[in-house]
Amino acid sequence: MNRVDRKRFRGLSVHVVLWLCVIISVFPFYWIVVMATNTSQDIYSYPPKLWFGGNLLTNIQHLFDKMDFFGSLLNTVIVAVCTTVLVLLFDSLAAFAFAKYEFPGKKLLFGMLLAMYILPTQLAIIPQYEIMVQLGWLGTLKALIVPACANAFGIFWMRQYTSSGVPDELLDAARIEGAGFFRQYWHVVLPCVRPALAFLGIYTFILSWNDYITPLVMLVDPSRLTLQVALAQLYAGHSTDYSMVMSGVLLAVIPLVLVFTFFARGFIADATKGALR
Amino acid sequence: MDLSRRRFLQTAVLTAAGAGLTAACGGGSGSSGSKDSKNLKFWYWAGGLSDKVVADAKTHFSDATLKTSVIGGDFKTKLLTGLKTAQTSPDITGVKGEDIASLLPNANRFLDLKTLGMDKLAPDYLSWKLKQATTQDGKLIGFPIDIGPCALFYREDIFAQAGLPTDPAKVSAQLSTWEAYFDAGVELHKKVPKSFLVNNIGSVFSMAIGQGTTRFIDENNKFIGDQDHIRTAWDTAVKPYTLGIDAKINDNTWNAAIGNGTLATELGAAWHALDISNATPGTKGKWRVASLPSGPSNLGGSFLALPATCANPDLAFKVVSWILNPENQARGFTDAALFPTTPAAYKLPALTGGDAFFGGQKTIEIFGPAAEKIPAAYEAPADAAVSVAYFNELTSIEAKGKDPEDAWKDAVSQAKQIAQRQGVK
Amino acid sequence: MSSSPVAGSAATGPPSGPATGSGGRHATDRRRGPGRPARRIRPVSSGARPGPRRRRARYWPQYLAISPYYLIFSVFMFFPVIYTIYLAFQKWDGIGEMHYVGFQQFRFLWDDPVFWLSIRNTLVIWVLATAPMLFMALILAVLVNSTKRFTSFYRVALFIPSITSLVAIAIFFGAIFSNNFGLINAVLTGLHLGAVPWLSNEWTIKLVIAALMTWQWTGYNAIIYLAGLQAIPSELYEAARMDGAGPMRIFFSITIPLLRPIILFTVVVSTVTGLQSFTEPQVLFGSDASTNPNSGGPGQAGLTTLLYFYHTAFDTNDFGYGAAIVWAFFLVILLIVLINWGLVQRKERRP
Repeated sequence: MNRVDRKRFRGLSVHVVLWLCVIISVFPFYWIVVMATNTSQDIYSYPPKLWFGGNLLTNIQHLFDKMDFFGSLLNTVIVAVCTTVLVLLFDSLAAFAFAKYEFPGKKLLFGMLLAMYILPTQLAIIPQYEIMVQLGWLGTLKALIVPACANAFGIFWMRQYTSSGVPDELLDAARIEGAGFFRQYWHVVLPCVRPALAFLGIYTFILSWNDYITPLVMLVDPSRLTLQVALAQLYAGHSTDYSMVMSGVLLAVIPLVLVFTFFARGFIADATKGALR
Repeated sequence: MDLSRRRFLQTAVLTAAGAGLTAACGGGSGSSGSKDSKNLKFWYWAGGLSDKVVADAKTHFSDATLKTSVIGGDFKTKLLTGLKTAQTSPDITGVKGEDIASLLPNANRFLDLKTLGMDKLAPDYLSWKLKQATTQDGKLIGFPIDIGPCALFYREDIFAQAGLPTDPAKVSAQLSTWEAYFDAGVELHKKVPKSFLVNNIGSVFSMAIGQGTTRFIDENNKFIGDQDHIRTAWDTAVKPYTLGIDAKINDNTWNAAIGNGTLATELGAAWHALDISNATPGTKGKWRVASLPSGPSNLGGSFLALPATCANPDLAFKVVSWILNPENQARGFTDAALFPTTPAAYKLPALTGGDAFFGGQKTIEIFGPAAEKIPAAYEAPADAAVSVAYFNELTSIEAKGKDPEDAWKDAVSQAKQIAQRQGVK
Repeated sequence: MSSSPVAGSAATGPPSGPATGSGGRHATDRRRGPGRPARRIRPVSSGARPGPRRRRARYWPQYLAISPYYLIFSVFMFFPVIYTIYLAFQKWDGIGEMHYVGFQQFRFLWDDPVFWLSIRNTLVIWVLATAPMLFMALILAVLVNSTKRFTSFYRVALFIPSITSLVAIAIFFGAIFSNNFGLINAVLTGLHLGAVPWLSNEWTIKLVIAALMTWQWTGYNAIIYLAGLQAIPSELYEAARMDGAGPMRIFFSITIPLLRPIILFTVVVSTVTGLQSFTEPQVLFGSDASTNPNSGGPGQAGLTTLLYFYHTAFDTNDFGYGAAIVWAFFLVILLIVLINWGLVQRKERRP
């Protein structure tokens, strides 16, 4: 094989390997659809059915009988959206202060953040639970939204981007025109950090959507669950109609995948931009 | 993805408003000072009550609103979380049999049913069952829904294949002790290699423990989990494993296994029949019920309780006592395999009729005598927590091939530690 | 993604006056490779230095800006963490009274074989998941970086697993690895290789959980590495090739050193998240509810420390002991993060 052939072979084998990985990444979704469209008996049978069946609607109907799907979907959306917006607001504000200003106690405050970054959330969950009881927020969505706003990653991410992505010249120009802190934030910082905000927004949204342990602990009433907890409850217990559960899995997974694929290009581009800073 | 700042601000404000709004809605109807609300929150788990009876209760008490919730997952955890605040607390709640003992120390969170009229009804219900929900100073917090007289469920077609008797009376007579049961199991596995006798040894252990009059902690709060009665139950449980007739099923594959003949028998309480029929409706008519080897045992059997924050105790008690009157308990048996706790129900046709799932067999003939002879044992609040150690070690034997002697030693030492942490001497 | 947050130490730069993000400069240096300090223009000072009291008042916008975050943070993170320490010295069943018991919970912890088992389980699962995953992610990133066509498609396809709900995936893995009717065993039986009791054997249980974690995060880490790779200027590669370096040499002498901060970041993050696995074993084995709930499956092989904590606190209502577990575990995590940190850093020192 001459050099050109060897190069082409290498190029081709790279693609083959990558396609293999893509298949591994995507295969579960295909298989979930197969299981969700067949019956439980089909799932138990050997050899297993490899193609889609026609049972999807029946499974979904059973699913809706057993679980308040749209209710928990709505709750999940509410929690995810509220958390995301609040995180974006609070984190970008605080990041601006840390990135472009000095003030007394800044080092200490930032150091606290650092320490908290590696603390697992589970460390705080029991007292959080008690606090929710005292506040009367137990079982409500507030109990999920508010604590999630204290995510250290967001501040680090925004601070990084703000400090290098917001040109000081623009800030100086704004200051000369008499703009105070918040005006500068609104007019200068926010437009500059848009890619970082976009990335953080999607990241927070996904994190909130997929969160399991917090709603597991805080929510009780079956009419007020989030999707993950409702799904897990569906699965537990002896008598499990597998195909019904799989239809639930399918419905739980699809929205995010669709939304993500739509925004994916931009998302990854923003991640790259942020990483390069 | 472009986010204009104005839209950002608008969304932020809407979010804050929306969060406030949903929070307000999430508050729920807090009960005011007077205890006469007509809205009752009712929590139970799937299969805990007959859904038809519950639906009828809603129409029967037409001037009240019964908001029922079927709660999945870990019921006890959800209940304890719910009990924390008045808004999240239900007004009527189910309490599983294995959890009632651990709630007795906090009996002040529940209402004493005797003050609401239970003292008049108590003679109609099984006293040993009432005792399970009574504190040491006589406060009764649970109204018994069902009891769990245990029996041997078996596949008569697989028994026929293996040359074993198929008539329930004959099976009860032949498989009358654990040894005889295991011997039959060895026979069966030889003749029908893909079938096993038991699904896992934990179930055997549960039965054996329930056949005794003492459990893991005695009435003086002393740990007795290392004594002979537990040891015997342990040895009995390990036997099927060493004989190779244990299917070692400890997960969700039970559903498939029970349907395809991997499991020839199941040890369980009367309510277990519902699990079997739900998991494998296709085997209807192939199952029969025989009496449990070596004597009756009780497993489970739940209660309905009224949290102290109940919005209308009198109405709630009326609802509960109606749902659990003899006729409705009989319906509970036919609908959800809930064995009644009031002997008056045992003579009703719903109980004495044949069960189609069991090929028309009159299962009361097995469960009735079993229910009468159930040994009453003291269950300490920490009992459930302590027993976890034994079950974990039994699955270790099955999962890792751990030596049963080592497993026993570990189980006892762990159980002792858990007991210590729970405040047992 | 940003480089490791711990790199951005806030302790540099002049203590007062309107200097800016000195911490940021630190990190940005790393980003651009050795020997190239970033240039920063100091903004014009916003006025003469006022007296102490007025100085503090002058900073009110900054304090206001950080206050929402820090308010939530202190109420819901900082204070609870301190409270958990306090809780570890009590005995409490969550619904009754609290009793002070001194170090008793920690003594129990020391003697508790299940706790140590859970630590072992967590570590094994973490190693099984993280090491191969990061390695594969690096390879994948290099491969994707070398492609000219389909690049965007690969990036999206590889990223998708990381946004999938963990609960859904755990249920899915539970179904396909099921002993009796799972797809994996069906394939194995079809190939005459014999079925494996995936969810009953102590090692295979850990493998399944690790496989779950690997499936979910490999693509995500690959994309992160990819971003880093794309930041490496191609001139470096050209120069190295002209000096006659082969692909292996290039990889180890150029690529890896320049990726070091990113590698560090992914190692730290994977460590912290990998050690905290809770959802996977809880969902996979939550079905045996009545006799031993949340026990991590047969033989407690899947019992991770966080699952044990949840079981102790919410199933056996022993909140004091649960607090002790979670604090001891945090110290373990800290130790491991520091070890990982040292390992990755030390390699850099070697010439």
